[in-house]
Amino acid sequence: MNFDLTEEQQLIVDSVTRFVSENYGLEQRQEYIKEKGGFSRAHWQTMAELGWFGMPFSEADGGFGGDQVDTMLIMEQFGKGMVLEPFVPSVVLGGGAVKRGGSEALKSAILPGVQDGSLQLTLAYAEAQSHFDLNDVVTTAQADGDDYLLNGVKCMVANAETASHFVVSARTSGGQMDTNGITLLLVPADAEGVSMRNFPTVDGLRASEITFDGTRVSKDNVLGAVNEGYDILQAVALDGILALCAEAVGAMEMLYKDTIEYTQERVQFDHPLSDFQVLQHRMVDMFMEYEQCKSLLFRATMEVAASGVAAARTVHALKHLIGKQSIFVGESAVQLHGGMGMTEELRIGHFFKRLLVIDAQFGNADYHLHKFAA
Amino acid sequence: MDIDLSAEDLAFQAEVQEFLDGNAYKPGEDYNAWRMGWFAAAREKGGWDVPKWPTAFGGPGWTPTQHYIWQKETATRATPWDMPFGTVMLAPMLMQYGSKDQQERFLPDIRSRKVNWCQGYSEPGAGSDLANLKTKAELTDDGKHYIVNGTKIWTTAAHIADWMFCLTRTDDSGRKQEGITFLLFPMNQEGVEVKPIITLGGAHSVNMVHITDVKVPVEDRVGEENKGWAVAKGLLQHERTGIAGISNSIVALEKLKDKARSVTRGNGSLMDDPGFRTKIAALEIDLMATEFTELRSLAAASAGTAPGPESSILKLKGTDIQQRTAKLTTEAGGLFAAAWGGKTAGPSFAREGMASYLASRAYTIYGGASEVQRDVIAKNVLGIKRSGK
Repeated sequence: MNFDLTEEQQLIVDSVTRFVSENYGLEQRQEYIKEKGGFSRAHWQTMAELGWFGMPFSEADGGFGGDQVDTMLIMEQFGKGMVLEPFVPSVVLGGGAVKRGGSEALKSAILPGVQDGSLQLTLAYAEAQSHFDLNDVVTTAQADGDDYLLNGVKCMVANAETASHFVVSARTSGGQMDTNGITLLLVPADAEGVSMRNFPTVDGLRASEITFDGTRVSKDNVLGAVNEGYDILQAVALDGILALCAEAVGAMEMLYKDTIEYTQERVQFDHPLSDFQVLQHRMVDMFMEYEQCKSLLFRATMEVAASGVAAARTVHALKHLIGKQSIFVGESAVQLHGGMGMTEELRIGHFFKRLLVIDAQFGNADYHLHKFAA
Repeated sequence: MDIDLSAEDLAFQAEVQEFLDGNAYKPGEDYNAWRMGWFAAAREKGGWDVPKWPTAFGGPGWTPTQHYIWQKETATRATPWDMPFGTVMLAPMLMQYGSKDQQERFLPDIRSRKVNWCQGYSEPGAGSDLANLKTKAELTDDGKHYIVNGTKIWTTAAHIADWMFCLTRTDDSGRKQEGITFLLFPMNQEGVEVKPIITLGGAHSVNMVHITDVKVPVEDRVGEENKGWAVAKGLLQHERTGIAGISNSIVALEKLKDKARSVTRGNGSLMDDPGFRTKIAALEIDLMATEFTELRSLAAASAGTAPGPESSILKLKGTDIQQRTAKLTTEAGGLFAAAWGGKTAGPSFAREGMASYLASRAYTIYGGASEVQRDVIAKNVLGIKRSGK
């Protein structure tokens, strides 16, 4: 057991850190949001060229053979700039499903494009009634010759607007809540019978509601075995949670540090705010919760890298703690910035909103507390 | 970065288990003889009796992972009772500030647990504001002794200790952190009077110690005269390692779950109560995080870097976890939590739980109250400077 980074990992961290500090000032970020799809195409290409999208893929799949730890290192730095490019939807979620479940033919058709940035994937799993349960699926896929016919509506799909393919969970047998009977399909975004309603999320990112109306999908595009997609979905969701939690930890660090800096500059009652013990103690609590979240992030990430879904309970613990404490840190940052904390001018409000969105993805703090306690 | 135990670590773990099982207390055995034998056997293993000591002084030189394994294994198996004052707190200070003569005179008996120590720090007028201490040490005219007078309070184990390490004032002309001197003296002598203080849980672990004209040879001063504050603070830093009590909390939490399962609620047990269960879950999650905060801190320490910022939070988080565990134990006791004394009513854990809970309130007061800890973190870790206005 060790917490050391390899030389390669340290190089990646340095390069992502430099990228974020040079390209992700708040004003720059708000400009990228205005571009089509809500992110910078140029940066997307740069990231691909720097090899970041190849990290979590095996060498056989054309990647660098990294694991969840490598993704964590990238995402923690992304969190410090609230990076907009759809790395998680495409590489971690969509790519994660294809690498686990795709046939050799499908993998060689898709994964090179995911890694060079020419393709962008996303995961369409949530439905209006499903809350955070991955197994609650009413979208159906009916066998029809060599194809499936897909019918249903998927909600809150990240970056679907610019995606080339969706990984869709659909019911091929069983009842609404059965884990058995879920099949994962890779659906081209331009397939017939796909319609989308695109909208922004509160953090400035993009999401869509996707309706499948008799969409025809080849059986060659099934990921994993028919009726057995849940296992892949669960493994992919764990990776997604880890990546988002790493991003949250990066954001929490910025929030507590910005708050310390601001309270030392802002003078009220003839004192810098940081002179007041009640504010100092709040900032100490922000710092402590950040460190605790980081510790549990390391633990959960290393456990999943070592033993996969067997470590799910630790991931529940992590998502609970991140949800609860990142919002404590965000609320505290806004509170200690006073009126300025309420404005869009400072980045802290943007970090706070990003953390609220992260809590609402793949299960919020309460959901995972109950899963952990079960 | 990875979590797997290497083949060497697994072998070490097996060796630890074998040692602990092989040296376990056998019913009927003389406890004290077993205790002394256990430490001697641990020493034979290559310093297992003093895991945190540097190798130059006979410590085992374990990696952070080995420390982690040791903590885990010793938490779930019976080991002899031990006090931190000698091996964990005083010994590192003697190694750093003590003379060769002091090291030779004191370290062997600390190590063998033959001599028990107590910590003469707090005074009636110097609690969280420790530097305000007034116990006076005056050098005799011949320069060979100090004459010590004053009162120490909250002195844990003073009633069973053989020696005290004591903070005294030798100069009050400057800043109060200056003019403090660190002295060692035996407890069993005229002029040292120990009075028990019974705390909320009914236990006698702390005392008031009156010190009257106690004569201490200058050879028993650690570090220079008036420079004792550095020794005092260094010692508190060593107190911090392991202060989170993680392994014990892991065991205590499992016991709490067992107790809650033994308490019936309708057709099920208290563990089926969603409110209670989620409180346990939240506690366990905090514990899991703190366990890794401690590991990160150990890793930083073994890399030779100064304790990282994460280590500063261990006391705050660890004591919070201990107190919540104790509180939930009283809640599991339900109405019997109110019963007091020997075999009065209800399950024994309910009465013992209340006593432990009450005792646990001290955890956030001693060794730097939680509020003082936050002041220290704000200043030393977050770098917040008072403006001086």
